[in-house]
Amino acid sequence: MQVEKFSYDNLVVKQFAIATLFWGVIGMLVGLTIALQLYIPELNFGIPYLTFGRLRPLHTNAVIFAFVGNMIFAGIYYSVQRVCKTRMISDFLSKFHFWGWQFIIVAAAITLPLGFTTSKEYAELEWPIDIMIAVVWLAFGYNLIATIVKRREKHMYVALWFYIATFVTITVLHVVNSLEIPAGILKSYPIFAGVQDALVQWWYAHNAVAFFLTTPFLGLMYYFLPKAANRPVYSYRLSILHFWALIFLYIWAGPHHLLYTALPDWAQSLGTVFSIMLIAPSWGGMLNGLLTLRGAWDRVRDNPILKFMVVAVTAYGMSTFEGPMLSLKSVNAITHYTDWTIGHAHLGALGWNGLLTFGILYWLIPVMWKTELYSKKLANVHFWISTLGIVFYSIPLYWAGLTQSLMWKQFTELGVLQYPNFLETVLQIIPMYILRSVGGFLFIAGIFLCVYNLVKTAKKGSFEKNEEAEAAPLIKEADKLKRGMIHRWLEKRPIKFALLATVVILIGGLVELIPTYLVKSNIPTIESVKPYTPLELHGRDIYIREGCNTCHSQMVRPFRSETERYGEYSKAGEFVYDHPFLWGSKRTGPDLHRQGGKYSNVWHYLHFEDPRQMSPGSIMPPYPWLLTNSLDTSSTSAKINAMRTIGVPYGEEYENFANKDLMNQANAIADDLLNNGIPADPDKDVIALIAYLQRLGTDIKGNKK
Amino acid sequence: MKINKYFFYIATALLLFSFHTQLFAAGDDALDNVMKTMLIATIIVIGIVLWLAVIYSEKNDIDGQTFKAPLIKFRQWLTKSTPVEREQEILLSHDYDGIKELDNRIPPWFSALFYGTIIWGIIYLMVFHVFDSGSVQEKEYLAEVQQANFEKQILIKSGVFINEETVTASNDPAVLNEGKEIYTKNCLACHGQDGGGLVGPNLTDEFWIHGGGIKNIFKVIKYGVPQKGMISWQTQLDPNKMKAVGSYILTFQGTKPANGKQPEGEKWTESN
Ligand code: HEC
Repeated sequence: MQVEKFSYDNLVVKQFAIATLFWGVIGMLVGLTIALQLYIPELNFGIPYLTFGRLRPLHTNAVIFAFVGNMIFAGIYYSVQRVCKTRMISDFLSKFHFWGWQFIIVAAAITLPLGFTTSKEYAELEWPIDIMIAVVWLAFGYNLIATIVKRREKHMYVALWFYIATFVTITVLHVVNSLEIPAGILKSYPIFAGVQDALVQWWYAHNAVAFFLTTPFLGLMYYFLPKAANRPVYSYRLSILHFWALIFLYIWAGPHHLLYTALPDWAQSLGTVFSIMLIAPSWGGMLNGLLTLRGAWDRVRDNPILKFMVVAVTAYGMSTFEGPMLSLKSVNAITHYTDWTIGHAHLGALGWNGLLTFGILYWLIPVMWKTELYSKKLANVHFWISTLGIVFYSIPLYWAGLTQSLMWKQFTELGVLQYPNFLETVLQIIPMYILRSVGGFLFIAGIFLCVYNLVKTAKKGSFEKNEEAEAAPLIKEADKLKRGMIHRWLEKRPIKFALLATVVILIGGLVELIPTYLVKSNIPTIESVKPYTPLELHGRDIYIREGCNTCHSQMVRPFRSETERYGEYSKAGEFVYDHPFLWGSKRTGPDLHRQGGKYSNVWHYLHFEDPRQMSPGSIMPPYPWLLTNSLDTSSTSAKINAMRTIGVPYGEEYENFANKDLMNQANAIADDLLNNGIPADPDKDVIALIAYLQRLGTDIKGNKK
Repeated sequence: MKINKYFFYIATALLLFSFHTQLFAAGDDALDNVMKTMLIATIIVIGIVLWLAVIYSEKNDIDGQTFKAPLIKFRQWLTKSTPVEREQEILLSHDYDGIKELDNRIPPWFSALFYGTIIWGIIYLMVFHVFDSGSVQEKEYLAEVQQANFEKQILIKSGVFINEETVTASNDPAVLNEGKEIYTKNCLACHGQDGGGLVGPNLTDEFWIHGGGIKNIFKVIKYGVPQKGMISWQTQLDPNKMKAVGSYILTFQGTKPANGKQPEGEKWTESN
């Protein structure tokens, strides 16, 4: 048979690999900064762009989409070409993908600190960037699928299944969660509100974990682990079973982020049971990874690459067991809103994504530069300090979460909250925050070792942009669908495979989203709930800009310990005008849903100037610029119009009078401040923010059901 | 290798030590239970890890090591996998860039876990949403509140839990001292160090807006006067503390501080 000669594109792999390390260092340094800010609030140097609320989204986005994202693409471009025995179909698209993705990252790194954010976790980027993401992602998808179609290998290897599922699912998630209406060049409101928005958001965010941090990495594991260990994959049928089970079940589990909230009970229960059902399919991946090492365990001992991979896969197994446990309502009641969740996320991110990335890079760079790793010893040291870093990171947070949660829930014998002052529960766990930052520091120190080692390795070797290869062309042969061979049949048909995967992942989402959107009884209407006034709307946007939702929840759960502390628990009908919802996911500060009327305007004013004036020892950052920034009232009409388009009942032409109402309300607040000894201009940001806080949760006060 | 090990031991010791101090600082009853649960969970996790280590810690040179045979048999039984030496039998013909695949049986324990969780899921949904025998969150909440109210009633009846009807002023120096502490921490900002009044009214004269005497004072502390900015303290201070601070406030009577606010409200005379 005629053998064809061709070459693999190694350049794009190299570019993505370098970007991985570059953004990895940056993303983690930002993470360390905010970890330190949690006990040294001064570390933002009084600069708005460096405050916790604005840097936190930058950290998560950088680590997920820049560090892990670039690794995914490096690994995919390397492995797809080789298991398909062909070059990527379009060098142009590969280049476009690389530079487009980096451009998006830079855009994120600029806009997020500036306060342009949608507030939706891991989807904070504003609409123009969302569109860029869609374009670049589709370019990648076309490049991927078309290359697979053109392959010289009869069947698609399991890694490719995971890549295909990744592409189709992320496309669906990104599009649905970005349905928003622009209200300015870098401002938009999601078309969904309240409960629906929350459900869409967590369906998205949960599956971003599933289909960005998990499935592509499983694909990488299926290529690089057997390569590095030089062992056959343990079980082909296990691959099939766990692949389909995983992608089908994962999509349902989003509501486990919303347990005990105003989400309807049935949706919460679906979140719980599908999370439990996910244990086995997730462990299927871990098993296939670990058992592939059968007969190679003696080599793990002195091969740092395998060590990294083994611990990564084990961390994957641990966090996919922990996750379902946290989805049980009784456990969730304790851990939710606490640092436990952060510990859990980092076990996955640092352990599974981080360590697997390092393992792959230590294997890939010497191979592409045709040399040996510069220092095995350094790699070993890196392995130990990053593992230690993970331990020091996660375990203190587990304790912090548990301690704080129990303090929130503790009643005295007389039935009164033992720790009514929220801050007391924060100060209690500061030592744990300090330990956590030590863990983070160790991990980052490790990545510097890695960079050094790999640069030295590359210097030693010689890189070849195009690697020569040869393979026989694929001969078309007729084959029929036979019983017992269905999957083999499907493995020859990438397009059908992609379509089937799409159908499989759509089911869960549709079953949960559509009824929540259409069935009225899911969100009982409350008469007294009215749209925000223009001033409150501006205040809400400032709340979003400053990222207050990264520290404050707005969802009082139906527990006695919470209704005693905050007031009546939150009802679904209260959020119908909340575009976007701002329930939050972490209580570094107290819940704010019943904040309205709790304190005087003066209290808030002084608290924003410097929280420690009102709450000695507070770790909330000061916001002095809110007192001096003037409110941008020129955008009022655009905001009112956008809100009306998505169903908020502002009257006809209200946009023309809105600013008058706004000034009246602002003047009233300024007058009240003046009466209490604080002269303040009514046109400042802080006035709007106070108006918003004083409105929060007051629509149903008094008419408890 | 050695250095790594010591490093690791020291770090673990440090870590454990820091939790130790953390843990006992909070010192609650509930913490005890959770501690136990955590301990059990930790033991289980360690067990699982050891078990996995045993199952996977197989070397190539198993031949001579007879004492390992039972473990290997056990593993075989659990995973039903084909031993490494015979893996040619289940090696698939494909070769993807040098990667080959075996076709081991799916481990029986894995299938049990998989189908077990599915069955569990179906039962869960049935219990909560078909037969309605589990309590969904609102029911759960109402039950919790009802229980708390019930316990409170008992406390009130037994006289431990005083309220605005049963409260009496105290002269006990210990109680007054406690009252002073509470006052300094919570009330001073609005009523002044000496009770002369700032944002809030003067507490030293015999004129009271909402009635004088310990019972009325207790009531105002407990429920607050929200429209005027006095917040309700009943979720933050237990009744004994409200009594203590109320009693302390009464010690201001007739002190006439230098910058006291003008009297407000009605003159109060103790009628009983
Ligand atoms: C780093 C986390 C953090 C950020 C960011 C943050 N806060 Fe806070 N906030 C806290 C903590 C901790 C407390 C409790 C201590 C205190 O009162 O300062 C608190 C308290 C509050 C309170 C008082 C709540 C009560 O009932 O006692 C309000 C109101 C508040 N924050 C509003 C905001 C707003 C508005 C923003 C955004 C501009 C914001 N916070 C940003 C951590 C944060």
